[in-house]
Amino acid sequence: MKRNFYVGLLLLVSSIARAQMPNDAIYMPRKSVCIAGLYGRSTWTRYWEGTLSRDNLNIGRHTTQSIMLMPAIGVTDRFNIILSLPYVWTETSAGNLMGQKGFQDLAGWLKYKLVDVKGFSVNGLAGASMPVSNYVPDFLPMSIGLQARTVTGRLLLNYTHPRTGLYVTTHGSYNWRSNIRIDRDGYQANDRVYNTNEVSVPNAIDAGVRLGVLRKTWQTEVWAERFACTSGDNIRRNDMPFPTNRMEATSIGWYGKFQPRHVGVNARIGYVTNGLNVGQSTSYSVGLLYQLNF
Amino acid sequence: MKRILRNITILSLSVLGFSSVLTSCDKTIDEPQRVGYVPANVDEKAGTWKTYILTAPTDVTVATPASVTSTEYQAELTDLKSKSASLTREQQEAVVYWGAGAVYRWNEIARELAARYNVPPASTPDGKYPVPDASNPLADPRFPFANPPYTARALAYLSVAQYDALVSAWHYKYKFRRSAPSKIDGAVRVALPVSALPTYPSEDAVVAAASYTVLKAMFPGEGPFLDAKLAEHRNSRLWAGMNVASDLAAGASLGNQVAASVMARARTDGMSAANNQALTTDMIAAAKARGLSEIWVSQEIPARPPMLPNYGAVTPWNFDKATVARLRPGPPPALTSPEFAKALDELKTINRNQTREQARIANYWADGAGSYTPPGHWNRTAANAAHEARFSEIRMARTLALVGTTLMDAGVCCWETKFYYYFPRPQQFGIKTSVGLPNFPSYTSGHSTFSAAAATVLGYVFPDRATEFWGKAQEASDSRVYGLIHYRFDCEAGLTCGKNIGNYAIARGKSDGSGF
Repeated sequence: MKRNFYVGLLLLVSSIARAQMPNDAIYMPRKSVCIAGLYGRSTWTRYWEGTLSRDNLNIGRHTTQSIMLMPAIGVTDRFNIILSLPYVWTETSAGNLMGQKGFQDLAGWLKYKLVDVKGFSVNGLAGASMPVSNYVPDFLPMSIGLQARTVTGRLLLNYTHPRTGLYVTTHGSYNWRSNIRIDRDGYQANDRVYNTNEVSVPNAIDAGVRLGVLRKTWQTEVWAERFACTSGDNIRRNDMPFPTNRMEATSIGWYGKFQPRHVGVNARIGYVTNGLNVGQSTSYSVGLLYQLNF
Repeated sequence: MKRILRNITILSLSVLGFSSVLTSCDKTIDEPQRVGYVPANVDEKAGTWKTYILTAPTDVTVATPASVTSTEYQAELTDLKSKSASLTREQQEAVVYWGAGAVYRWNEIARELAARYNVPPASTPDGKYPVPDASNPLADPRFPFANPPYTARALAYLSVAQYDALVSAWHYKYKFRRSAPSKIDGAVRVALPVSALPTYPSEDAVVAAASYTVLKAMFPGEGPFLDAKLAEHRNSRLWAGMNVASDLAAGASLGNQVAASVMARARTDGMSAANNQALTTDMIAAAKARGLSEIWVSQEIPARPPMLPNYGAVTPWNFDKATVARLRPGPPPALTSPEFAKALDELKTINRNQTREQARIANYWADGAGSYTPPGHWNRTAANAAHEARFSEIRMARTLALVGTTLMDAGVCCWETKFYYYFPRPQQFGIKTSVGLPNFPSYTSGHSTFSAAAATVLGYVFPDRATEFWGKAQEASDSRVYGLIHYRFDCEAGLTCGKNIGNYAIARGKSDGSGF
């Protein structure tokens, strides 16, 4: 039986979500909406089975692609709402695992500037997501998501030098993830058998630091991020991944945006340098931005 | 400052609002809890039921117990009262856990071990698949690879050992007729329901010892895990006030003796030659000689040797080896036939547009790597049905032995058929899978054969639920078409064959002296 795999797509999807707004200190002005349409692609050939970095000839190269619509709404100059809904599909270059596809999770963020003093800001974010289709969560690494509903609390600090636009941003978050239901009524995790269809998906923390320049029409930055579950088990030797796995990843990358007027583009590349129970993915996304003012 | 406070308030309210999206942040997993009961019938004549390996219940010996008025017994009672007088929370949990049933729990443990070891070896950098080594079970790859045939066999020997040991135990229980400690001395505090069953030898100790011996042989790397289970089970009987020490010692001795006889059969049943890969050359030649134009080949990279190609030669339980070949279904459709084209077309259609319900059924019954396999699935179904029917330990053991032996018989027959026909998988014709592809020939479906055999036997044991069980077997069979790894004709032939296999176990059940 073919086995072995992993899931880079979780990280992929969340990083796309971050590419726009929930990880910066930029706000849409009151009565304006920026709609982003994004295409993302993430691939890996190596993954971490627990701590073991390996390839898998029965997967070859694993690819996750997505398209996503993401409006950011300026309610006030210091309070934005950001929504996102991705359509995701997966495939492998070898082996015979059937690719999965579908609408994944609808996510929403509330972003509020708590403190704003001389280029320094403290921003509070609250996010939540829920699956919008009944995709299979435990056919990993082909599944398009984990079916968990999530709530995220995030604190984001930013300093932007007023004249040059040079900035440094850092954030830390805690992600609560709900238990899920799978099609099976028995499964193995944490070295025991559970006689139920209910599966515990571990909570996670994430953090990031970004350094860049923000000007009126363009932005460029380099970033590093860390995602880590607070509990969970490892992929067993030569076995499939499972939603209970303790996933961790450290990623680095670049993000840029160019928006001279109402229409703009953005792009993001990322690379996982280190991880646990995840694919060592290389990802990129490109987006088209359109700003509406009311 | 006021504005900051207001901002914090808004943020807090937002977080609360989002939190309501989650119905609960509770991470605990709710599992159905099984608790003990007084059996609907203690089956006091079960000491006469027909055994599998023992020729008579007296093949094994049990010492005559001391009289309940003796000083030894009174000393044991005093000890029991002190051990059961007040329990820690941990002890209470152990009592409740084991109180659900000795046979029930040891089968659950066996399924857990099967799941833990059901992972195929990884390939080495030079493209080889190392064979698990029983003498070094915890090295990579671990021994055993508890695939469906291996697990079917492990569960069969487990349930046969439990059953034979309990038949013997029942014989001695009613020979010696020692009442439960709490019936002899009203001051013994009991934590579980007490039936009219005599307690010497202890049925719990019998099952624990027999199970321990079989499982340690089947999963040799799990000694410490099994030691702990054995000790906890024994102690739980003292904590619960259910057995004095001599009940337990006699039970352990009896269980060990029976398990030794049962494992003697296991050593000579042909399993040691089940992975004889050298035989596949002749198997392939024979299949080609019968007209098969394209044989099964491993779809893994690198190609993995097929799973236990000679398992079909392992000794079955409810019929002889000659019957295995007679039970083999007729040939599958020729690869060039319209029947084959139609079956492949059905898979192509599902491959293009698998419905969510088809995926659900495929996933529910997948029982693939990392699971307790289809035999484990049916073992669980049988154990739960017997528990819900409040079966005595021995009637539960009989049920699981009938189901366990028929599942192994099904495995033997199905594997014999698979390697006789050596028929290619749908993946050799461009079909993907949503459940993972087993590494052995297609015809017939193992799931269908296992499920039909088990469901047929369960329909005999629980006639009121026969339709339900057959419906499950049919769904398990369909699941392999929905999961895209079997042609419809693989499944239909497997179901029919499995039903025939199950009837042999039923014939045995009807003549085992139980009167059922």
